[in-house]
Amino acid sequence: MKQRTLLGLVSLLALIGAYTLVSSVVSRPDLIPPTQDIAEALGDLIGPGYQMPAPEGHEGHHHHSSAQVDTLIQQGVTLQASLGISTLRVLFGLAVGLPLGILMGLFMGWSRRADDYLHPIYVLLRSVPPLALITYIMLWLGHSEAHRLIPIVYAVAVTVVIPTYHGVRDVAGKYTVAARSLGARGPLLLAYVLLPAASPAVLGGLRTAIAIAWMTAVGAEMLMAENGMGNLLVGGGMWSSRLQTRSDPAVIIVGIVALAAAGWAMDAVAKIFTARFTRWAR
Amino acid sequence: MRVRRAVIALLSLAVIYGIAAEIGRGRLPDRIWMGSHYVENIQLLPTFRSLAEEGSFLIESNILVDSIAVSARRVLFGLVLGSLAGILLGLATGWAARVEYLADPWVTFFRFTPALALLPLYVVWFGYGETSKVLLIATNVAVVTLLGAHQGVRGVPRVYLEAAASLGAKGWLVFRKIVLPLAFPDIFASVRVAAGLAWVTIVVAELIDARMPSLGYLLALAGAYPRVPTMLIGIATVGALVLVFDLLALLLHARATRWMKRAA
Repeated sequence: MKQRTLLGLVSLLALIGAYTLVSSVVSRPDLIPPTQDIAEALGDLIGPGYQMPAPEGHEGHHHHSSAQVDTLIQQGVTLQASLGISTLRVLFGLAVGLPLGILMGLFMGWSRRADDYLHPIYVLLRSVPPLALITYIMLWLGHSEAHRLIPIVYAVAVTVVIPTYHGVRDVAGKYTVAARSLGARGPLLLAYVLLPAASPAVLGGLRTAIAIAWMTAVGAEMLMAENGMGNLLVGGGMWSSRLQTRSDPAVIIVGIVALAAAGWAMDAVAKIFTARFTRWAR
Repeated sequence: MRVRRAVIALLSLAVIYGIAAEIGRGRLPDRIWMGSHYVENIQLLPTFRSLAEEGSFLIESNILVDSIAVSARRVLFGLVLGSLAGILLGLATGWAARVEYLADPWVTFFRFTPALALLPLYVVWFGYGETSKVLLIATNVAVVTLLGAHQGVRGVPRVYLEAAASLGAKGWLVFRKIVLPLAFPDIFASVRVAAGLAWVTIVVAELIDARMPSLGYLLALAGAYPRVPTMLIGIATVGALVLVFDLLALLLHARATRWMKRAA
């Protein structure tokens, strides 16, 4: 355990050190921004979204590290606000998508007949990348929040179906037979046997779903959203002209690190939650 | 029974769509407010006939085939490159604890980085061409297969290793004859998952950076006009490709692990 932390720290510091060295030797801030540029971009992005114009006669007001940072700050974009918006979208996707997917998985795992009919349809649904639907959803529902949220809901729902399905069929199957032979049926069977027995598999699926939800949220925001982490990464701009201007790698790196941290934190919460809920399985 | 029910389900889905499209023809709005302007002549639910017409146009003009070829090539290159790197690394981290400790922070970092977030960075580094897209897929695939290979090696029952050790086998021999074959199913399962992810990633990457003819570009064009039949055919094509890749992976897997069934 001790060696693990030590070696992990060593590798972390060694690579960051190597990066700092390389970036200062190469000195191409437009490609590999030096570590202090990244730190500066981070500071600028966390700072107040709107900077007061410099007082009269005071030359050289605060200079930001790049054009992208300037644009973002002019638009009032901050790292924490973007992260908050993306997190809300992810949470919405989970809140709506999880029940949908779990219900479908339960249904398919519960009834052989439902499985026979629904499985081929599910396979079709699963094969479609949720973000490919974004423009079609937009035609139906107009330019709104819907076409950012629906792909996330879709992705989450499709992801948790299979773990739930297997949880109900493979794991809970044994217990269900036993409970049935003792006379349990209907809601009792569902609430006291099936759901608890399937829960480890379902919660395992939850963690995959979190990762997929983040990926979908960022993709949707990169495609068309005026806020959120995806928007921060491509530095604003309009649909179809995104990525056309050269972005500032320092901002992108800050964004990526923030996203990784957010994903990791959410996963850690899910892990604790899972451990609490499935204590009996150990 | 299963097959019959599957056919019934899919057919009824198609029939419901057909009926909805016929009812919707002329009744659904064909002029849509897009936030800043109206777009005209929209078929929100194109009938099967207009889908067939559009499909035959896309096929005859080679647009569809070319797009599939470009996207599939990116997926294949990325898949091969990423799997190679990921599996090798995963075998190493699974086999040697020290390597695992060293790799741990970085594996965690990439695991929680949404793959698409890397796209703008790769575009800055490698330009808009093939390299950035292939590498984006490769990174995504490498993370998934690394975890698969790692788990595969870790999942090898201790008894086997001890039995081999007591018979005097060590090092490379144990790795090649025991660890590798036993880790194979896990590795394969992760490659299968990665293939699905690779398709999702590439189509969205092509949508965001819509330049070259490719499936994502086709979808982006269909969205810009907007042309719903093209859009739906594009979506269906991507879905079909994901399905075909998955089936191929399953077949290969069944073939490669036949010995396990025989042994059991």
